[in-house]
Amino acid sequence: MVLYIIGLGLHDEKDVTVRGLELIKSSDKVFLEAYTSVLSVGKERLEAFYGRDDIIVADRDYVECQAENIYLPAKDGNVSFLVVGDPVCATTHSDIMIRAREVGVKVEVVHNASAMGAVGCCGLQLYNFGQTVSIPYFDDNWRPTSFYPRIKYNRMGGMHTLCLLDIKVKEPDFEAMKRGKIVYLPPRFMLVNESAEQLIEAEDIRKGGAYIPNKTLCVGLARLGQPDQCIIAGTLEELKEADFGKPLHCLVICGEVHEMELEALRPYLIENSTFEIDAEGSLFDRGETD
Amino acid sequence: MQQTHKQSDKMVNFSVDQMRAIMDLKHNIRSMSVIAHVDHGKTTLTDSLVQKAGIISAKAAGGMRYTDTRKDEAERGITIKSTGISMFFEYDIKAGEVAGLSEEEEAAQKAAVEELMEAESNVKISENSYLINLIDSPGHVDFSSEVTAALRVTDGALVVVDTIDGVCVQTETVLRQAISERVRPVLMVNKVDRALLELQLPAEELYQAFCRSIESVNVIVAMYNDEALGDVQVDPTKGTVAFGSGLHQWAFTLKRFAKTYGQKFNVPEDKMMGKLWGDWYFDPERKVWTSQNKDGNLERAFCQFIATPITTLFEAIMAEKHGKVKKMLSAIGVELKADEKELTGKALLKRVMQKWLPAGDTVLEMIVLHLPSPAVAQKYRVDTLYNGPLDDATATAIRNCDTSDNAPLCMYISKMVPTSDKGRFYGFGRVFSGKIATGQKVRILGPNYTPGKKTDIWVKNIQRTVIMMGRYTEQVADIPAGNTCALVGVDQYLLKSGTIVTEEDAHTIKTMKFSVSPVVRCAVEPKNSADLPKLVEGMKRLAKSDPMVLCYTEESGEHIIACSGELHMEICLQDLQQDFMGTEVKVSDPVVSFRETCNAKSNQTCLAKSANKHNRLFVEADTLGPELCTAIDEGDINAGADAKIQGRKMADEYGWDVTEARKIWAFGPEGTGPNLFVDTTKGVNYLIEIKESVVGGFAWATQNGPLCEEQMRGCRFNLMDVTLHADAIHRGMGQIMPTARRVCFSSMMTAEPNLLEPVYLCNISVPQDAMGNVYGVLTQRRGHVFSEEQRPGTPQMTLLAYLPVMESFGFTADLRSNTGGKAFPQCSFDHWEPMTGTVYGGGKVAETILAVRKRKGLKEGIPEIAQYLDKL
Repeated sequence: MVLYIIGLGLHDEKDVTVRGLELIKSSDKVFLEAYTSVLSVGKERLEAFYGRDDIIVADRDYVECQAENIYLPAKDGNVSFLVVGDPVCATTHSDIMIRAREVGVKVEVVHNASAMGAVGCCGLQLYNFGQTVSIPYFDDNWRPTSFYPRIKYNRMGGMHTLCLLDIKVKEPDFEAMKRGKIVYLPPRFMLVNESAEQLIEAEDIRKGGAYIPNKTLCVGLARLGQPDQCIIAGTLEELKEADFGKPLHCLVICGEVHEMELEALRPYLIENSTFEIDAEGSLFDRGETD
Repeated sequence: MQQTHKQSDKMVNFSVDQMRAIMDLKHNIRSMSVIAHVDHGKTTLTDSLVQKAGIISAKAAGGMRYTDTRKDEAERGITIKSTGISMFFEYDIKAGEVAGLSEEEEAAQKAAVEELMEAESNVKISENSYLINLIDSPGHVDFSSEVTAALRVTDGALVVVDTIDGVCVQTETVLRQAISERVRPVLMVNKVDRALLELQLPAEELYQAFCRSIESVNVIVAMYNDEALGDVQVDPTKGTVAFGSGLHQWAFTLKRFAKTYGQKFNVPEDKMMGKLWGDWYFDPERKVWTSQNKDGNLERAFCQFIATPITTLFEAIMAEKHGKVKKMLSAIGVELKADEKELTGKALLKRVMQKWLPAGDTVLEMIVLHLPSPAVAQKYRVDTLYNGPLDDATATAIRNCDTSDNAPLCMYISKMVPTSDKGRFYGFGRVFSGKIATGQKVRILGPNYTPGKKTDIWVKNIQRTVIMMGRYTEQVADIPAGNTCALVGVDQYLLKSGTIVTEEDAHTIKTMKFSVSPVVRCAVEPKNSADLPKLVEGMKRLAKSDPMVLCYTEESGEHIIACSGELHMEICLQDLQQDFMGTEVKVSDPVVSFRETCNAKSNQTCLAKSANKHNRLFVEADTLGPELCTAIDEGDINAGADAKIQGRKMADEYGWDVTEARKIWAFGPEGTGPNLFVDTTKGVNYLIEIKESVVGGFAWATQNGPLCEEQMRGCRFNLMDVTLHADAIHRGMGQIMPTARRVCFSSMMTAEPNLLEPVYLCNISVPQDAMGNVYGVLTQRRGHVFSEEQRPGTPQMTLLAYLPVMESFGFTADLRSNTGGKAFPQCSFDHWEPMTGTVYGGGKVAETILAVRKRKGLKEGIPEIAQYLDKL
């Protein structure tokens, strides 16, 4: 029997592929992964659309610590494991695939749209993207800036950087945890504004010139693939103040911007933006030709 | 010990306004604690001081009594809570000489005094007026935390020692604490009446007994000597030792006699004092002072001029030799009133001695002359008090005891005192700099506040500032530095203690270090389950009211109260039921804290993977060794120290590798405990970004160990290697912290895990004939005696024994019933002792783990290593 890992796309229940829908309907068990991303609709709408009422919501703890409950039933029947977006793009479910294969369960992936592709809608070309980074929430004591060198690396190569923003669903309160208690904090989704602030802080700490907060062109995107999606382009300083509305958000830091890309981006630009496109080639280390 | 007070007819009418006025004279304030072993007579002595000095007038105080004592204190004859009292004392020396003032300061002082004198009053405030803030503290070891809180807010200590018992275990503890707080001691050798009446000691033996007490005190003082405090050895010839009887209310210093004899022999008072102690003799034939007593027929000057007259007087009065008594009385200049002449025996003796050598005058004189004023004391105390840089504005103000109008404020709240309003508390403490005023906007800092952070700090206005006299309080506009006072309203923010400042960059005052720890615990539940909310609220109040007690709820839902000993527990439970709840509770058998430890190095490198499996931690555990644990307990090795200097020290003294010692990530639990997490990896990317999470997991693991969720002790965790996900989001705290905890568990469990149980040091005083029974009781309870000493000149023995805390419940009662009430034990926590057996092999350890797990409602059985250990 098979463990189907099915992408649900970006918007609502209707984004699922026809093949995906057929598999869900015919599966013995259906799990919905509910922590790496969120759809705009809840479990009830999905159930109504799939015509079944037994979807099991698998939170972080369930997927990470009790994964066997998901893949072991696939030995005796078909199991669908539903993942928002695409199963193999921005998510980290390689562990469950490996473990399922180890116990002899066949794994099939049903692809769908992902933020990693949909980001192209802002006009920047996917060919020109470098490594993707995630921006984690800073807290009082934990302010990791290890994304910074990778942004710099991308920018040096003239590549855009897609920044996925932190999602904290069912995050335990660590202070309580140290005292041996498990208390969950309310869910948090990082906004473009917050990520812009943290990126500015990272530049301030590292001072590596990977980007210039009031010059480098960036694009903030909210609710990709949904009807009310919102795209605003400008510098980090400008995006810090912009209003994107509800989650989920993500951010692109531009590298070299082709004229066609700029043309496509223009409608989203903040009025009187102070951005400056880095002159062609200035980011490449092309030796001492000058 | 009886709390009988007689209103002295000479009592001065001393109003709150006047008291407030003297508070401005920072050189005329003496704040002191009375400290001693239990039953050495602190409270009785305090009474005799109160009789002499002016205290707040009865009229102004609304008919209060000066030491407002708890009913149970009187019943038990021991002090439980430290009680403060302020006294007014007139002493005729030039104030400037004592305080060592410069000319300008003296001028300022004079101006301040003149201003005060203009105010009409029946007590004249002059430069000879002194405000003495006295705190009477408990002597029983269980209440040591009260002593610590008292010492923190005072600058001097009156150490009281029983002539016969000498320096006892608790004397040593409190004296050591006093010196570590940089509190200057003076000595009162008490209960001299007992030595004379019960033991009938002759003069020379009395001198020897005095010498022993003084020497024992000085040995302790020398042992814990602190250079910043200067020479604090007590010395009769310097006037820092008084002898007398608190019960009979008489006392003398050599100064008292040196005055009289100095005139007679025409020797200056200072010199005379030197002659009246030690090997000095007066040869009446040659009329010379000599230090040679070749023929052995000379009497020591102390005996000849002081001790013998006293013993003779005692003998004469007790033997009712009226003629002789009369003659002696006129010689010493004591006149008896008509009704007093009727007295005989002890009553007469007491009255005569009171008149001849009044205790109040003597001791208060000693306090004024030899204990420092806040202005003097804070110069050297600031280093040990203040957490921040010693040159910032607040530190400077503390050092100078700055009371000027715009000086930075710094006040330390040392304890919470219940108010008449149930559930609310006064925050009691000492102002170290500036003035604290009603309505003033201040920063209230909790003990965990770190500058620059926004946690554990509240910016609020002070609701009310009050002067405290027992339960009686009086609101005042402000209180200047150097004084103690209470605040209304801060109890909402502070649990037990805290710092109040005005400067933005001000740091906290150091948290008090207690010499006892809460090792005895009980679970309580309300008798009537509907009273549960009352219990929860009552426990909160109890936690506030006592500096030491811990109140918390276990995972299993049990409500736990943790105390320092059996007596402390008894008092806490009584307070909880009577004062804080008003209903009764059911109390479980006492529960003992254990510690989880490991005895060896892990038998393998342990691995734990994060929940998303992308991160891996490799750790080995090892044992720290008892010496290093003790060093950490005492703060010699601590989390705040400079890594380089401490690394060197650990290499030299504890045989650590220097590079490893410099890479200690954390102490735990609570960031200070005796377990270490050490980074021994090399060149791991992003390692610094997971440090916080790993340390969090380590803190969690050391707080609740794997065996039975007790704290760990003496474990060292070496981080051997780490594999991490490249993206920070996938190695956040949620992934790393639980992983770090699990790897700490598995590595400790593969390193010969064991439990440590707390062991009391029992100090038992017992007459020789009842000693056998003491041994019997101890043996039944796994205890053993390791020292036996006879008190010189008495049949009393002092036994020192180790007794597991687990076996100590009901020990006091058991011992008393087996010895007919002759044995008197005092137990204080001494050390942690490994238990017998092995965790997986059975024996006492395994039994205890199972019992603790059952009590806490944890999964039954000893946990398997496999549940924490991952495979590659």
